[in-house]
Order: sequence, then structure tokens, then C-alpha cells
Amino acid sequence: MVPKQKMLNLAEAPAYFERYRDIIPRFEEFLEHLKKPLPLYFRLNELKCPDPELVLQGLRRQGAQAEPVPQMPLFYKVEPRTFPLGNTEEYYLGYIYPMTLNSSLPVLALEPQPGELILDMCAAPGSKTTQIAQLTKDQAIIVANDRRLDRLTALVANLKRLGVACALTTLYRGEEFPFGIPFDKVLVDAPCSGEGRYRQGYEGELMYQKEGRTNLPALQKGLLVRAFDLVRVGGIVVYSTCTINPDENECVVDYLLRKRQGRLLSCEYPQPHHPGLTEWEGRPLHPDLVRAARFFPHETDSVGFFVAKIERLV
Amino acid sequence: MGKKARRKRIHQQAVWPRVTNFEEREEVLSFWEERFGIPKETFAPYLLLSTAKNYWLFAKPPDLRALQGLRVQTVGLLFTRKVSRWLKPTSTALQRFGHLATKNIVDLEPHALDRLRRERKIPYETDLSEGYVIIRCQGKVWGCGLYTPGKLISYLP
Repeated sequence: MVPKQKMLNLAEAPAYFERYRDIIPRFEEFLEHLKKPLPLYFRLNELKCPDPELVLQGLRRQGAQAEPVPQMPLFYKVEPRTFPLGNTEEYYLGYIYPMTLNSSLPVLALEPQPGELILDMCAAPGSKTTQIAQLTKDQAIIVANDRRLDRLTALVANLKRLGVACALTTLYRGEEFPFGIPFDKVLVDAPCSGEGRYRQGYEGELMYQKEGRTNLPALQKGLLVRAFDLVRVGGIVVYSTCTINPDENECVVDYLLRKRQGRLLSCEYPQPHHPGLTEWEGRPLHPDLVRAARFFPHETDSVGFFVAKIERLV
Repeated sequence: MGKKARRKRIHQQAVWPRVTNFEEREEVLSFWEERFGIPKETFAPYLLLSTAKNYWLFAKPPDLRALQGLRVQTVGLLFTRKVSRWLKPTSTALQRFGHLATKNIVDLEPHALDRLRRERKIPYETDLSEGYVIIRCQGKVWGCGLYTPGKLISYLP
């Protein structure tokens, strides 16, 4: 979820990202990569479309080519990149969900199983909720929550479009989500500054924390602690953002690990990644954070992401 | 001044739908089986919930009572509507389960589908029995229509 506030001009990017020079591998290559537009991908919705050829043929008729992405089942890359996927009948009928590759990684870390009780705490507009539904063949119980009614409307529309029957929607502030349900897993895809999404000519909606009123790390810590308290002992919380900022990533998880008894788990991902930081601006962080994963735009040709998988011990 | 976009609002204080009893569930699922040939067992993994005029499908939770403490906005997938004394399948549900149907399917050419979507009612002759039908075009299920002798009426969204 990326709140809109102020655009970052491409000329300002080097100065803005300079703070991360030491944590972004091949920093100059990263800056150069920001000038490239993001490729177009969609996820095939097997709940409604058991035969991919139905979609591929339809798109071909409309002038677009879609190729499966190796190692990312159900994902297809579309050419040309500017093709209006949202105007196609395949989209209208819920056969596809346009989605960046790295956005799917938090759900892969969650490893949702049929029968599990799962809370998607910041669910709108529903890319990850529908991905969970699809991976569990519509047989997990998903509580899809969002705090804003306008965003929840978009979530409900996407659940309907994709034919998901295993989700219910709620409108709570995540940090105040009520207790009493023994969730097996909780996904916290937290509101963030969205630095990982920055590209020339694509979104580029970076929220300047200094100028904004929202204290994002404080909000993220509140969400993560609540998520941890909501999951049953032995259950899993996955925390993710699409930002590079360690204050919104490792520092948030570090805060949780100092407040609660949990441990980070390693994951296998189909995209190249780096371990989480165990030190930031001179401050040591929890050693478990080495098991978190950082995904960089120039190494994945996708949105920058951070994913941490945490098990509740007590 | 620009035209304000119309958007259906979610009910802020929506309440939990009730779980249907065996007879009601049988009635709804028998309708799907008899009209479209979709076996009742298809819906075995789902609960059938009911609000005043609608039936909803929702995956069976291990403990429904715990979830019923939540203030919900929506639960599951809108499945069937109660229209007067009749049951009407929703296009949403037909798009999801319609590929399993074996009867009462109307296959349209793209130009006929376009016309139906535009005009909402087109002349149409078939030997299907009168009632709700599945609108399909080039293998894709579009949703619900109503066939009456000589006419096809669109209930597509």
C-alpha cells in the first residue's frame, strides 16, 4: 500500500537514495535502472480460468504477447509493456490479475495451506488476498482487512471479479484488530514509503516522511506487534514492505523481537535476494534479521521488496 | 463540473449472514444441479449463507463461532438471489462455476454477445427450456441470461 503524497523527480533520485549507497549492491547500476520502465506482468487466476490458453489466445487477438515467467508459476510477462491489460475481457472476467513479480513473494513466504485461518491485515486492493485464495484452491479462511472504506471497496470488487469464496472482509484499524480468533498465519503488507516502486514514468510516488505527517515506522511497529499477538503460538507472521528504508523494515522487526518472543525463519524465493541487515547507521539489530530478505529493483527487474517470516514462540 | 463517478458503497454495519439449514441448502443446490447439471457435491467444501434476498458461498471454517464475533463487511461469494418465488444464479457465481455446467448454456458469437450487452434483450430462438441460462462466448462464461421463447435477456453485470 503506497500512500500518495509527493512525486520524486528523477534528478533528485541520486541524492534521495544516497543514504542507502552502502546497502544497495552496485549502487550506480541501481540508479541507472530507475530510468527503465517496469515490465508488465499478470497472474493467471486458476480459480476461474483452468486453461491458460484461453487467456493467451484472447490477448494475442488483441495484439499482446504473454510468456510464462520461469520459476514463477502462473505469472506471465506481457509485451508491449504499455498494453492496457485492465481494459481486456480477460481482466473483466477475472481471469488475470496484473501484479509485479516481487509483490507475490510475501505470499510465497506465508506458504498458505487449505484449511488455515489467515488474516491479511492490510489487504486492499487484494492482490495478495486473491493470491492466497488461489494457492489454497479457495479453501483457506481469509480475513481480508483494511482500515479505509474506499480501499475496501476496491478489495471487495477484486474478490468478486476473481471469484473468491473463501474470504470475508472487515474494516478495522490493523493495530486495533480484535482478539479472539486463533489465526494460523497473519500477513502484514504494511503501508510504507514505497521507495522500491520508484521508476521513471511509473508511479514514482515516494512519500517523504520528513514532510508527511505519518510516522510510518511507528504505524508499522503497531501493526506488526498486533499481528504477532493475534497469531496462535507456533503460528507465522509475514511482514513485508515495498520500501528500501531499513527504518521501515529491519528496525520494525527488530522492535518486535525485542518486545516479543519470536524467531525469523529462512525462506526459499524464486527471485535473487540479499539477507536483511543486522546493523543500520551504527545501531546493531537482532542477529535473526539475517534470515529476512531484501529484493532490489535492478536485480529482479521488479519492485524493491523486504520480506520477513516470523514464528511466534510463546 | 465533472460527473461524479457512481460507486456502490459497502454497508458500514453489515451483519453476519445466517447459515442455511439442510432443507434450504438442498433447495438451492438442487436448483443448480437440475438447471445446469452442476453436481451438488461441487459445493461440498462450502457453507451456504443467507441474507434477506441473497445466498452466499463461503469456505467452511474450522470454527465459525470465533469468526462471527467480527464486524464483517462481506462474507464469501454472492451465489444465488431470491427473486420473488424463484432462484436466480448470479453472474459472479456462473463465471466461477459455469464451466462445470452441462445444460442450459447459450453459446453466442462475439457480435451477438456485444449486441446483448448493449441492448440487454435480443431476439433468440433455441430449443432450451425457458428460464435462466449461462451465457458463453468462445469458451468464456460471461454470466447469467434469461431465455423466454424468442428472446434472450441479459443479466450480465
